[in-house]
Amino acid sequence: MVNFTVDEIRGMMDKKRNIRNMSVIAHVDHGKSTLTDSLVSKAGIIAGARAGETRFTDTRKDEQDRCITIKSTAISMYFELEEKDLVFITNPDQREKSEKGFLINLIDSPGHVDFSSEVTAALRVTDGALVVVDCVSGVCVQTETVLRQAIAERIKPILFMNKMDRALLELQLESEELYQTFQRIVENVNVIIATYSDDSGPMGEVRVDPSKGSVGFGSGLHGWAFTLKQFAEMYADKFKIDLVKLMNRLWGENFFNANTKKWAKQRDNDNKRSFCMYVLDPIYKVFSAIMNFRKEEIESLLKKIGVTLKHEDADKDGKALLKVVMRTWLPAGEALLQMIAIHLPSPVVAQKYRMEMLYEGPHDDEAAIGIKTCDPEAPLMMYVSKMVPTSDKGRFYAFGRVFSGKVVTGQKARIMGPNFTPGKREDLYEKTIQRTILMMGRYVEAIEDVPSGNICGLVGVDQFLVKTGTITTFKNAHNMKVMKFSVSPVVRVAVEPKNPADLPKLVEGLKRLAKSDPMVQCINEESGEHIVAGAGELHLEICLKDLEEDHACIPIKKSDPVVSYRETVSEESDQMCLSKSPNKHNRLFMRAAPMPDGLPEDIDEGKVNPRDDFKTRARYLCDKFEYDITEARKIWCFGPEGTGPNILVDCSKGVQYLNEIKDSVVAGFQWAAKEGVMAEENLRGVRFNIYDVTLHTDAIHRGGGQIIPTTRRCLYACLLTAAPRLMEPVYLCEIQCPEVAVGGIYGVLNRRRGHVFEESQVAGTPMFVVKAYLPVNESFGFTADLRSNTGGQAFPQCVFDHWQILPGDPCEAGTKPYNVVQETRKRKGLKDGLPDLTQYLDKL
Amino acid sequence: MFYLIGLGLGDAKDITVKGLEIIQKCDKVLLEGYTSILTVGKEILEKFYGRPLIVADRELCESNIDDILKEAKEKDIALLVVGDPLGATTHTDMLLRAKEFEVETQIVHNASIMNAVSCCGLQLYNFGETVSIPYWTDSWKPDSFFDKILGNYKRNLHTLCLLDIKVKEPTEESLTKKIRQYMEPKFMSVKEAARQIVQIINNLPEKTDIAVDSLAIGLSRVGSLDQKIMATTLEDMQQVELGPPLHSLVIPAPNLHPLELDYLAQYR
Repeated sequence: MVNFTVDEIRGMMDKKRNIRNMSVIAHVDHGKSTLTDSLVSKAGIIAGARAGETRFTDTRKDEQDRCITIKSTAISMYFELEEKDLVFITNPDQREKSEKGFLINLIDSPGHVDFSSEVTAALRVTDGALVVVDCVSGVCVQTETVLRQAIAERIKPILFMNKMDRALLELQLESEELYQTFQRIVENVNVIIATYSDDSGPMGEVRVDPSKGSVGFGSGLHGWAFTLKQFAEMYADKFKIDLVKLMNRLWGENFFNANTKKWAKQRDNDNKRSFCMYVLDPIYKVFSAIMNFRKEEIESLLKKIGVTLKHEDADKDGKALLKVVMRTWLPAGEALLQMIAIHLPSPVVAQKYRMEMLYEGPHDDEAAIGIKTCDPEAPLMMYVSKMVPTSDKGRFYAFGRVFSGKVVTGQKARIMGPNFTPGKREDLYEKTIQRTILMMGRYVEAIEDVPSGNICGLVGVDQFLVKTGTITTFKNAHNMKVMKFSVSPVVRVAVEPKNPADLPKLVEGLKRLAKSDPMVQCINEESGEHIVAGAGELHLEICLKDLEEDHACIPIKKSDPVVSYRETVSEESDQMCLSKSPNKHNRLFMRAAPMPDGLPEDIDEGKVNPRDDFKTRARYLCDKFEYDITEARKIWCFGPEGTGPNILVDCSKGVQYLNEIKDSVVAGFQWAAKEGVMAEENLRGVRFNIYDVTLHTDAIHRGGGQIIPTTRRCLYACLLTAAPRLMEPVYLCEIQCPEVAVGGIYGVLNRRRGHVFEESQVAGTPMFVVKAYLPVNESFGFTADLRSNTGGQAFPQCVFDHWQILPGDPCEAGTKPYNVVQETRKRKGLKDGLPDLTQYLDKL
Repeated sequence: MFYLIGLGLGDAKDITVKGLEIIQKCDKVLLEGYTSILTVGKEILEKFYGRPLIVADRELCESNIDDILKEAKEKDIALLVVGDPLGATTHTDMLLRAKEFEVETQIVHNASIMNAVSCCGLQLYNFGETVSIPYWTDSWKPDSFFDKILGNYKRNLHTLCLLDIKVKEPTEESLTKKIRQYMEPKFMSVKEAARQIVQIINNLPEKTDIAVDSLAIGLSRVGSLDQKIMATTLEDMQQVELGPPLHSLVIPAPNLHPLELDYLAQYR
């Protein structure tokens, strides 16, 4: 059944110009997995007749049951392109001479926002993305998010308009209307692309264009698809026009007058848009003939389009017949394959411009050159982007992309976690790669070695990496850049075993859960609580189910979900804060101040980050945020975790031996930034200034034991004197519904402190889109509430958008933030009431 | 009344008569155990003084001393400190706080390494600033004490180097956590101190007055019967075993008085 063998695939892996690594990305329910089936069936992995129903890449039972993709799934496939299509590949780096086979490594990713960390992990290891858009709903919030992510990672997109069958059968759109819908989607997509990249950038032209063949149309469910290239081929001989020219004519403002046989650029009474006339009309005819059971017309049409029905299909009629006819006439696999092979970049092309985005080390060392040239003879550089559970409970395949060199079974390699820094031994292991394997959707195949430009899995690496990492044979290699997620784990629950004796199993299960999901955080609170944090309710639900059934295998009790807050300040400290070390010989003088608007976001996005050159960074801070340039050059560190949106600035002058205590002060700052003074939540948007320091004359009396706790006390005093505030996470919520349901949405949002900031009709449809901000804290049960208030017609997509100050003073009893602080303190086992300034502030 | 009583250097019997009398009439006796230690141990002291002792660690002395001081308003409380009570800079703060709480205080002095170091033959008059040499960690390697040694040396003064002791010190990781974990007690030896100094010298960009072949004097258990003294180059000091703690190191001035030289000769 499978029309290629592992050996064939291994052979193809060396032909790096004929490899395409791609992900399929889209909004939830736009039909990615269904469309992917078309390719999988073309490769002969599933039967053609069942394509569109199997969702081969939805490997988990809950994925099949819920009809939703949860984990991204990879599959390697081999195809051949016909000679006539090969000429469309003009770049010599896109194709090996005299080779018509292509190896496509495809990753199907989830569309629901809660799982978008899976998309991030998929994008990292691929070079191209097939963006699927439901032509009925158009470009949605998640389409934009994933597309933006793709562009940021320098992933080249192609577009596919899915669900044409719905447009024709349910909405019964006129052909001109349908064209307008398509045109709008293409425009919307190109607007997003243009916002985040430009044509003169390193990727070259990124925009999608139907007349170039980088936009596909069709129905994944019915298994048919086409690009303008297919139709141009049908007409090229008849019109005696060059294929490429004809493709241009079949899109946009091109009209044909059937009587005068003349082309025009303007609409007239007697001419018709070429796309409608030559592309849509034939399809409409087939649809209407079959759906209206006009037998004779069907026969003559079939002859015209060159479709002969197989014997067993001859008796079918209605939708079943339509499916067979359409997929024989315009097979989806073929159209997709051509789009992928012709328009998506090979690793050779992509790695040239992706290297500088991927590699942290100098751009001219051996590893960098190896990545840039995709050289299988260079030292090994592989990025592990996620862990995939094996059938062996508790063990994982490390899944990733070989960017340089070769990964070989039995090879000794350096395994570097995200905390590795060159020259140090931290987070570094030198181990043997037990086995290399090929990921094939539901099963895996062992393979001897994998050269650069390919995607594969490794056995025996999972024990040394938590989630992601770099694997290399180059001694001086730096890390590959850590992925940045578009969502944050803002919703958390506490878990405990129903039977207390099962605690060790729970702890082990949490470790496995942390590995199995790119984003979930399993935190062990000092109070002994076990916390699981995820992107949203659905994400948590799936994680907890996995924890209970697969990872810990014990019954679990879980608390109600709570959101994590951030602590910040709203004014500068009203006094210079002094804290003395326990031995009273060391004194710190500091103040806290809020950061200017936009700076915390710049830090989140990495526009301002600890690795920048300090001079460039200071210039940026000075220009954009009016920071004093000398002070901006003396940022000691970011925090928490060394990267967070809080900074510690040395504003002191001429303090001798200050450098000897820097590490201790930084450690104290990281601690305070991680556990703020109000409720031990992370800090956000706080700048601390060190104004003066008095030190004991002797180094022994100013060690970490003296300085670290003192720094924390001083920072706490700074926070308490700077009008502390709480920040809560806010979702951007997009809701699609018919007009009648809009009123119900407003009601639900009002009750939940949400506010609508945009309401618009989806052009060409009776659907409305409402966009609103909704505090995450108010989002629990939101989906169910919304459905019950709109008769099940409204479906929300919520994605974390920003942090916003929770109005009110947390130090004043009775306010909302006060209550939040008290609840959080109680949950964490902290003292009731408010922190006491006198504990932290010392007198001169 | 709050008493600070020095215990001297050697063993239980080094306490002064005045000190002993006070201990015996006090309501509560604390033994400070982190700036220095007596080699004999708490039980022997208790037996000799005929009083139970409460060991006061760093946290008690630095952070929680207020309660004890307040108690001393009504009762007589003594804090025993090895050596001289004010030899370690730490305890002056205690006296300041006592004053704040209006608690009367009395100090009973005793011998300290600060004066007993003269047993090596170097004259006390010729000592400069005293320094402490801290244990280095992977990330924290302060070397500012070397500048001070160098400063003394240039002015032809000896330097007494006190060596780090770690008794119930929190581990570095636990410093940023709520639950404290403590390191195993450790005491820097002359050997370890010499190694750190040699490292500093080797890392210096240019040559200084003090080199690896400069003279150094190692002392151990000064004041007890088995005290040892050894004079050799810094280089060789890295290999010298002087037995159990406590150790001290002296970097003598470049030009010694003939009498100092004569006395030192017996330790070479």
